[in-house]
Amino acid sequence: MSAGSGEYVRSLILSRLEQSLLDTGLDPAMVDDNFDLLTGGVIDSLGVVELISSIEQQLGVALDLTELDPEQLTVLGPLSRFIENQYAQSTQSRRFA
Amino acid sequence: MNDHSQPPQDTGGQIPITTAAGFYPRTAGALSHGLAPGFLRSAEVHADRPALQVAGQTLSYRNLHDLAARLAAAIHQHHTSEPPLTAVFGSRSVNAYAGVLGALLAGHGYVPLNPAFPPDRTTTMLLRSECGSLIVDSAAEAQLPEILPRLPTPTLIVVPDRSDISDYQRLWPQHTFIGAAELSSAAGMIEPPNPAADDVAYLLFTSGSTGVPKGVAVSHRNVGHFVRSSIARYGITQFDRFSQTFDLTFDLSAFDMFVAWEAGACLCCPSRKALLNPAHFIQDSRLTVWFSVPSVALVMRALGSLKPGAFPTLRWSLFCGEPLPADLADAWACAAAQSTLENLYGPTELTIACTAYRWDRQRSLSECERNIVPIGYPLEGMEPLVVDDNMEEVQPGDEGELLMTGPQLSLGYWRDAEKTAAAFITPPGKQHTYYRTGDRVVRPLDSDPLRFRGRLDHQIKVQGYRVELQEVEALLKQEAGSDLAVAVGWPITPSGAGAIEAFLTSNRVDLEVVRDRLKARLPRYAVPRKIHLIDQWPLNSNGKIDRKQLVRWLEAKI
Repeated sequence: MSAGSGEYVRSLILSRLEQSLLDTGLDPAMVDDNFDLLTGGVIDSLGVVELISSIEQQLGVALDLTELDPEQLTVLGPLSRFIENQYAQSTQSRRFA
Repeated sequence: MNDHSQPPQDTGGQIPITTAAGFYPRTAGALSHGLAPGFLRSAEVHADRPALQVAGQTLSYRNLHDLAARLAAAIHQHHTSEPPLTAVFGSRSVNAYAGVLGALLAGHGYVPLNPAFPPDRTTTMLLRSECGSLIVDSAAEAQLPEILPRLPTPTLIVVPDRSDISDYQRLWPQHTFIGAAELSSAAGMIEPPNPAADDVAYLLFTSGSTGVPKGVAVSHRNVGHFVRSSIARYGITQFDRFSQTFDLTFDLSAFDMFVAWEAGACLCCPSRKALLNPAHFIQDSRLTVWFSVPSVALVMRALGSLKPGAFPTLRWSLFCGEPLPADLADAWACAAAQSTLENLYGPTELTIACTAYRWDRQRSLSECERNIVPIGYPLEGMEPLVVDDNMEEVQPGDEGELLMTGPQLSLGYWRDAEKTAAAFITPPGKQHTYYRTGDRVVRPLDSDPLRFRGRLDHQIKVQGYRVELQEVEALLKQEAGSDLAVAVGWPITPSGAGAIEAFLTSNRVDLEVVRDRLKARLPRYAVPRKIHLIDQWPLNSNGKIDRKQLVRWLEAKI
């Protein structure tokens, strides 16, 4: 598993939110890609801020989620993949810079 | 004063419009008060212009008027009890907005209820308001089984999305139901509304310190003054397009609705999901007037969406509801570079907003204190008074509680003379009633703006020392490099608190290091004894951090 793969970002999100998931009665290992962290009651809008800045910190990149449809912004799978793509692009552009 | 008191001599003043509801007279000409007349005038002059964009639909003034007129006719026909109030139970739907207007066109005040609140709380609000009518949108209908059996008096329940009401009628025979079929066949001519200036325009419940919600009664005179002075202040025309980020239960939603509809402009309501990052919503809806709590902008910045020049259509960027950080104001001002940014301030009891500060990049940074934008200067007609504990005015430059009076001073708390008397007072030597905001400000020197220093109840005594929780929070945010931090007094003692405990969600820092740095900047008693890391902030129904919940959490930990 390399940093920036969809799985890696997914695991970052799940480990960051582990306690909230457990508090909501969910097993982090069983959460599927269509799970919506917001409507599922795991995070709120300020929780999104904290989650994004924590991932930025761990990946060492500034994320831009403007183009991610707000409907999908808090859905585990699409969010993980969107961040994965952005991370891959930023490391690529850094390599060729 | 009241144009309605003279019935029109002929149809010159009234233009009957045929709707499915029959003839509904629209009244031409400006009226001195009331919210319905402004909408009715726009419905006449701008009939084909867009009035409302919500849930994937755009309604013209004509469409919205006709929906509202049908609801008004139903209320008019079936609502028999006092008081003249209609509750609107809905959110971000056509029928929630048509319901607000329907209540007003029936000559009623509206009482917004929120499907996101627990049904228990909604029931309490209904019981306290003594509403005889309730308009329910399709999403809120699911909660009726938990609410209707608990209403002791027969109530009119309007469910505009429901074609067949026989189930409801059988389940709850004590109430009267009106569904889609009854609405479309409703007929009859009803008089245009003619509320008195001091009649309730809306009744809005805010959380009370005891946990029982208090109903703030706002009159047509109050909100009419605010709406008309806002239109002048912002130069609003029929070409403006307003955001509606607030739920109807947050009084700031009334600014968007009634300023827009009075001027023939369009109200644009995003879905709850779109509100999470409304960058595309602002662009796609070509908004010209933005109004939200600063937290919405905070999320947008975190998502990378406050890019310079991102929102070229905005003319006005307005924030209210919580302290506005200066760096956030600056970032927004760059993103909405063509707009003028204002920080508004005002409790519900003073009708939406009563002071405003206009952001100016050159001047404002030096006027901000602890990275917080000033709340500015009183809006038209409003008079502040900064007082000490004895309600005597403090000297310029000194800090005290902000009292305020003026045309937006609301009627008080609904059917609660005791709480009204405690908060709406006449200070010694003054002629007028003032509202006690419970907010601490600095009495300005010369032409300085008013600066918000914190809630009265955020200034606490720790072991006898006065501690400003906002100051602790400001330093904690700096030291932890975090956007948010909350400090509370804990444990509670008879004289205040034994110590301070604080909350952060950042996981990037060593908490002991942060505490050590705070020791260098704060007196010993003000340094948080413990800093708790939490996964997410508990929020109250208006999206603000719920401090009481944090204290309850500490209580539960013992």
